[in-house]
Amino acid sequence: MIPAYYEFANTAKVLSGEGAIENIPFELRNLRCERVLVVTNKDLRRLGYADIVLSALADGKIEVGAVFDDVPVDSSVEVVNEVARVFGEQRCDGLVAVGGGSVLDTAKGVRIVLSAGGEDLMELRGADRLIGRFLTPLVAVPTTAGTGSEVTGVAVIKDTERHVKMAFASFNLVPDVAVLDPRMTAGLPPRLTASTGMDALTHAVEAFSCRQANPLSDGYARAAIDLVRGYLPRAVENGRDTQARLAMANAALLAGVSFSNAMVGIVHAMGHACGGAANVPHGDAMAVLLPHGMKFNLASAGDRYAELLLHLAGSETFAATPKAERAEAAIEAVRALLASLHESVGQPVTLAECGITSEQLPEIARAAAVDGAISMNPRFASADEILEVLKAAL
Amino acid sequence: MAADVDVGPGPLRAMKRVLAAIVFWVLGRGLVAACRVDSRVRKEVATWPDGTVVTLEIAPGGPSTTVRLENGRLTALGGGRPVPATLLVTFKNVDGAFPVLLGMKSVLQSFVEHRASLSGDVGLGISLVRCLHIVEGYLFPDIMTRRILPAKAQRRVSHVHAYLALLTPTAELTTKGARS
Repeated sequence: MIPAYYEFANTAKVLSGEGAIENIPFELRNLRCERVLVVTNKDLRRLGYADIVLSALADGKIEVGAVFDDVPVDSSVEVVNEVARVFGEQRCDGLVAVGGGSVLDTAKGVRIVLSAGGEDLMELRGADRLIGRFLTPLVAVPTTAGTGSEVTGVAVIKDTERHVKMAFASFNLVPDVAVLDPRMTAGLPPRLTASTGMDALTHAVEAFSCRQANPLSDGYARAAIDLVRGYLPRAVENGRDTQARLAMANAALLAGVSFSNAMVGIVHAMGHACGGAANVPHGDAMAVLLPHGMKFNLASAGDRYAELLLHLAGSETFAATPKAERAEAAIEAVRALLASLHESVGQPVTLAECGITSEQLPEIARAAAVDGAISMNPRFASADEILEVLKAAL
Repeated sequence: MAADVDVGPGPLRAMKRVLAAIVFWVLGRGLVAACRVDSRVRKEVATWPDGTVVTLEIAPGGPSTTVRLENGRLTALGGGRPVPATLLVTFKNVDGAFPVLLGMKSVLQSFVEHRASLSGDVGLGISLVRCLHIVEGYLFPDIMTRRILPAKAQRRVSHVHAYLALLTPTAELTTKGARS
């Protein structure tokens, strides 16, 4: 499949492997940074993950102007402004973000604030526009293997006063350097490993089948799915399996590049709505809803799913499955992976297990029908149709 | 040897800009008219914050159209960006905008192909896209819309009725209490 026209960008330099963190000082010097602000959260500090980075910075003679470890679960404009204030006060010239999606989003927000020079963040919302004049260098060190935020040009920041979630999407928001070091995810509990891994898989499957899919994003999606198939069960079974951890960190990054360019669809639209209505963890919602979303999209994206069978189930299964049955078999492969994770760590397979009741479904369906992701889905979905998908997933 | 470069945009692009200006005029009025005759558009617009100013434009400094929601009334303000936009859709060039304006490509597809950028609330932008899909359903015949719209165009009134609504001086209409 070749679109009539597409655009693609992936500007992050990737450092992947054991010892990657020790190369951060070199990269910072390349970015002309000498004194950085480290953004993280209290848990990562307490568990020693932030110290791995701080130690590498000290060893590499990069000054740390301050460590901001107060990032909450949801990034907010107050926190972003506070970090930006500390950045200026401590005369820092670069950012190192160590954490999951909210920490990385906060760091992206700080870049926007610093670049905007006092301009209201609300004025900078949008998609596909250049944000700011010059963005402060940012090194992203993810501590989960799921969001792919270390390579995406998207940030969502809450404005708690105005009660709105501000979305920023721009190719120039992508961090300068993404650092994947298996030490940073070694302590992730098995259940969370499963959930975040399914999030990465969902990014790849949706990116491969959504409206903005293109040959470059396809390549990243295929590679991500191969890694998930080969290594997610291993990483869940043994968190100290360094190879599996590194592979899953790569899978999340690859899927991140893919969906940052090709976008996501109905599964994310429903997942966002489930999160809003019942605080369902994002990865759990993705895991439950992915096979159901794929089933709904069969009529429009069946050919694409058929191609994915090779990556979801391997070459033997792909070759042994008649062409006409490959799309359904791809969905079954996702179900089989989910079932194995359910058996090994109790990964939910229904929305009911995530705490959602049938009474909540109409509200979730309505919210999903107006979610931004739904417009990129390969098949049009009305609120009524989404409701049927949700009922099947309950 | 260096030579002076004296290549202008060409007569074809100049013509496209003139046509784009006309279609933009129709599109702005069409959005207001659709708000009058179609409850789905009215419902969408009712979710926009009062004071919303939507501008669609072609960069750099090309034709544009602006509509404003004030006190629950959607008003077509025409071209020239008379007031600053709170939601700005900018087509990167006239060639990228033209297929959209001629009904050969949906607004959504232009975003998919990065042919337009959006400044402002992304959620509001998506609401605008839904409205414009409905408007396109009225402006263009089925033979065109079935290729570009995500679903078959559902019209509340005929094309003729919609164009009459567009051309009447009552194009400034309230979003509250209008008929379904």
